[in-house]
Amino acid sequence: MIVAETKPLDEIWRSIAPYSRVLILGCGTCMTVCGAGGEREVSFLADALRMSQARGGEHDHSLLEYTVKRQCDAEFLETFVDRSREVDAILSLGCGVGVQVVADRFPDLPVLPGNNTYFMGASSEWGVWDERCAACGDCRLADTAGVCPITRCTKGILNGPCAGAKNGKCEANKEADCAWILIYQRLERLGQLDKMRRYYPPRNFRVIPRPRRIVNKTQVSTGGNDGQVSV
Amino acid sequence: MQAEAPVGRSSSYDHSLVPPCQSACPLHMEIREYIDLISQGRIMEALHVIRDGNPFPSICAHVCTHPCEDACRRSQVDKPVAIRALKRFAVEFGGDRMIELEANTTHAERVAIVGSGPAGLAAAYYLRKLGYPTTIFEANPELGGMLRVGIPQYRLPRSVLDAEVQRLIQIGVEIRSNTRVASLDLLFEMGYKAVFVTVGAHQSLRMGIEGEESPGVVDGATFLREVNLGLRPSVGNRVAVVGGGNVAIDAAHTALRLGAQEVKVLYRRGRAEMPADGSEIEQALEEGVEILFLVAPSRIKRVDGCLQVICTRFELGEADGSGRRRPVPIENSDFELDFDTLVSAIGQAPQIPQDFRLRIGKGSTIQIDPVTLLTDRPGVFAGGDAVTGPATVTQALAAGRQAAVRIDEYLQHRYPALPKETRAALTTPLLPRTIELVRRVNRLDPPVLPAQDRTGGFAPVELIYDWKTAIDEARRCLRCGAGAEILFQDKCATCLNCLRVCPYEVPQLDASGTLQIPADQCLACGVCVAECPAKAIMLRKPYDRRQVTEELEHALRSALQTSSKPLLVGFCCQYGLFGTGSLAGLWKAASASIWIVPVLCVAKVEEEHLLRAFEMGAEGVFIAGCGAQCARENTGQWVARRIEKVRRALATLGIESERLQALPTDGEEASTVQAVQEFADRVGRLCLTAALKREVRK
Amino acid sequence: MAKSLFDEKLADAKFLVTTEVGPPKGTDISEMLHNIDLLKDKVDAINVTDGQSSVMRLASLAGCLIVKERGGEPILQVTCRDRNRLALQADLLFASVRGIANVLCLTGDSVDVGDHKEAKPVFDLDSVQLLKAIRIMEGGKDLGGNDLKGAVQFCAGASVHPAADFIEPQLIKFEKKVAAGAQFFQTQGIYDVGSLRRFMQYASQFPVKILAGIIVLASARMARYMNENVPGVIVPQATIDELATAEKGKGLQKGMEIAARAIRSIKAGGLCHGVHIMAVGNERLVPEILEAAGLT
Repeated sequence: MIVAETKPLDEIWRSIAPYSRVLILGCGTCMTVCGAGGEREVSFLADALRMSQARGGEHDHSLLEYTVKRQCDAEFLETFVDRSREVDAILSLGCGVGVQVVADRFPDLPVLPGNNTYFMGASSEWGVWDERCAACGDCRLADTAGVCPITRCTKGILNGPCAGAKNGKCEANKEADCAWILIYQRLERLGQLDKMRRYYPPRNFRVIPRPRRIVNKTQVSTGGNDGQVSV
Repeated sequence: MQAEAPVGRSSSYDHSLVPPCQSACPLHMEIREYIDLISQGRIMEALHVIRDGNPFPSICAHVCTHPCEDACRRSQVDKPVAIRALKRFAVEFGGDRMIELEANTTHAERVAIVGSGPAGLAAAYYLRKLGYPTTIFEANPELGGMLRVGIPQYRLPRSVLDAEVQRLIQIGVEIRSNTRVASLDLLFEMGYKAVFVTVGAHQSLRMGIEGEESPGVVDGATFLREVNLGLRPSVGNRVAVVGGGNVAIDAAHTALRLGAQEVKVLYRRGRAEMPADGSEIEQALEEGVEILFLVAPSRIKRVDGCLQVICTRFELGEADGSGRRRPVPIENSDFELDFDTLVSAIGQAPQIPQDFRLRIGKGSTIQIDPVTLLTDRPGVFAGGDAVTGPATVTQALAAGRQAAVRIDEYLQHRYPALPKETRAALTTPLLPRTIELVRRVNRLDPPVLPAQDRTGGFAPVELIYDWKTAIDEARRCLRCGAGAEILFQDKCATCLNCLRVCPYEVPQLDASGTLQIPADQCLACGVCVAECPAKAIMLRKPYDRRQVTEELEHALRSALQTSSKPLLVGFCCQYGLFGTGSLAGLWKAASASIWIVPVLCVAKVEEEHLLRAFEMGAEGVFIAGCGAQCARENTGQWVARRIEKVRRALATLGIESERLQALPTDGEEASTVQAVQEFADRVGRLCLTAALKREVRK
Repeated sequence: MAKSLFDEKLADAKFLVTTEVGPPKGTDISEMLHNIDLLKDKVDAINVTDGQSSVMRLASLAGCLIVKERGGEPILQVTCRDRNRLALQADLLFASVRGIANVLCLTGDSVDVGDHKEAKPVFDLDSVQLLKAIRIMEGGKDLGGNDLKGAVQFCAGASVHPAADFIEPQLIKFEKKVAAGAQFFQTQGIYDVGSLRRFMQYASQFPVKILAGIIVLASARMARYMNENVPGVIVPQATIDELATAEKGKGLQKGMEIAARAIRSIKAGGLCHGVHIMAVGNERLVPEILEAAGLT
């Protein structure tokens, strides 16, 4: 799940300052799940912004609210094209992906982010989210018994641990377990400690260099070649 | 007639299930709805719901055998909700208020009702309401059938029965008492267009043993009739009652009250097979009645004014036609008991005059078409004990109500309509996990007269609840089938919030990964509805869905139109002592204008509601719930969490966090009022400070 | 053929003593100069720390150059926190060209404990990979597989934490460092000689030299502070209590006493190959400690 949090109210208030009619756009997928931009958040934010206005805010806005199923696929955005014509700006409560897809679709409207997108993660219990994946493109969870050293070790090293752990907790965050001690314990339990004894060479930090793209369409040749397909 | 939603609720879709109590009730009463109203302290509205389906709620309140309580799912947790006693509380509370005592005559066709038992009375009531000139013919001097002559006064006070009869007279039903109908032809000649035969089952069955005709042996129905008609037959010191039904137990109770020192009930099966009402049996034992199981008399001899009764012991054999195990006499087990009086109460059957020329079937009962209630004679309907054999008062009332509908259709030449219930019935039990998670709360029974005070006379044994106890008992209702559903599956992101926050672990992921909230397990606390980030979950009943938002809007609109004092908005739980009456006194608080938004459990107050109150000008907002007494689990933590979130937003807007509070309440009225006062004072001071600051800035 | 003076000394059976100097946060190197001059002849080598505890300071390379100029034997501490593999290799080439032949390869403290908390942490390599890189460069290639025009030669070492509370993962790491080419180890601060003895029982099977780290504490409060905030430092309660017995103003005395006593017992017991004294701002006191420990 992509995990984000809504930006502080005053920051959002300042960012919509130049626009008199704003559409607050929610997202019904990841942002709903992590509570940062679903339908409920959209109406809560709208209420709070209206209150800000009522309490003598210097600027005046009319706010529309709408939530789409997903912002990251442009087809979903067609459902509110008419509404987009009534506003001067869109405040998107989607993740960073959503904001940009919306901006691509409506190049004549300023599209403002209402959320700060943090990471891809999972929730271990209600209301608690932990980063789990850095999208490194070179997954080595088989070697670390399912504990990612890149997201869960603050230094992201592959030949761990460092010497900074105290009481099994990371030197940078005393509430986080040292990932490498976890990896050790898991591998020991699986009887696979030899995986930890191996030397891991330096990571490829540019598996796909930025700006990253994946094309998983297969190429099909047309005509010629007696109809044979070269893929 | 009955299955429609009562007044005050809209016609928007109702996705609730019909709860088991309603399904079990012969009158199909909206029990869940009126119990919920009682738990909120809205007794008159509860009474309205009760009267909507039941013409004589005060009678049922005393003598109904409560099949609803037997079906109540609360019994899977601890004990069933005391529905009958709560209904009695509501009926006694309302008294004569809100009874519509008018009926207009809109039809010319006259209807005759033969017999004034509960079926006849109900039919008369509804037919009169439909506008038919109606006449009741009753052989006895007074109306009521078994209600008058069968059920003893300590169970159904005569004043209650008389009041109901009086109301019938007031709406224009013609009463012809002391009039035995000999032939139905005569009625038609007199101009009646339809006849409802409901003569009951008053003929006692014979034991079929030697000596049954002896003086001192009396049948149960006759015995009770004599007592109920005001005679005080002398029963001597030692009384035997043969039988195991309510008539037998009533006879035993009555014998004690007539002065018998020793009352023995002889029943030929065991305790488990005894058909009498459990609490009646308990009360009898408390009063000193002795019950001999697996015993029945086989011969009676009267010697020197005393009855020598030879009794045989029995054991239980194979099941018979009624499903109960047949008693089989044990050889050479006879023994003798001596009594002054023996009451035989082994059952009754109807006694239909031959001149009625109706087709009679098994058990001497009238044969009818089950849909139209017509006998084989055109225009002649039948219902009640005369058709079913001895049954309950409530079943008879239901028969009378239905007869009125059928007679109306017959006279207006309409096709008999079959009632359509658009909602599914809830038939499944609670899951073990749900049962585990429901907080146990002891059943609060209404107080009863102590055993030693009862046998002195015929005063009612059961007393009435006081206000607080009634509300506390009503709050035990689990609101089966009226819970939440994921109405908008397309909006649902399967975030699993509802699954994680449910105090009863009800939402389930099905095999295809779709979240469902099983309608038969949800206990309607409302936490998931407020927590769902996609607003995809709705409560099934339309009133519940709209309730908080509408009440809030109403309060805000009214508040803005009135006072110039600072406005405080309070979300107060309607259950328990926060019923509409208790906190009304707060409105008169001097320092602020306090508007209460009543909610059905504070778990349903959403963050937006809180924010909206401030948006519309409230200077302070408080939430008052039942605290530790909340019948739903863990509501306090949700309230606290939502308050924290709103406070953060308020802080950005320059609104002090003290202006939004959850008041710590212990469910007691006095301490809640005090907490509200203190809160009002605090907000008042904040307003003053803010005003001063504004002045200084100027 | 020894790669450096220190490398030669490693081959001796002599009890080794190293210490460290920390560069200034700025360009005023007067104190560092003073400390280097004070210590260069009293110890076998001087470490120059590299952004210790993630506090931005003058680069350790500069410090090593100064040590060399002043006639001392420098050990260059290199952390992987701030530089990617290109910069690390470039720095190693620089060090080699300028005659700095001893390197201590460290992963580096996390950015969170330092004074630039919003900086981007690099960690392109970790300490094991850095050791390996040195060996690869000694073979005339860089990490990209390209030929070097002129190879390097280093006496390379690493750190180890014998008193870690989860010891097995540390031992695995230790072995990886040995396999990657570490010749010597300077440990994290030792207070409990017993933990060093247990570690050495295991480590003595490897052909590497171990120098026990000795941190000079100035007070119980400092010890507690380091426990809370400095990665790799675990001061046991017994030591904190002992520090607390010192009279007011005499805390540092006590700390020096504890340090000297530890050195003496390590040397007397022949537990390991030497000590590495970390005076943490009190470098001027190191000669006194050495004397008290009987190492002069």
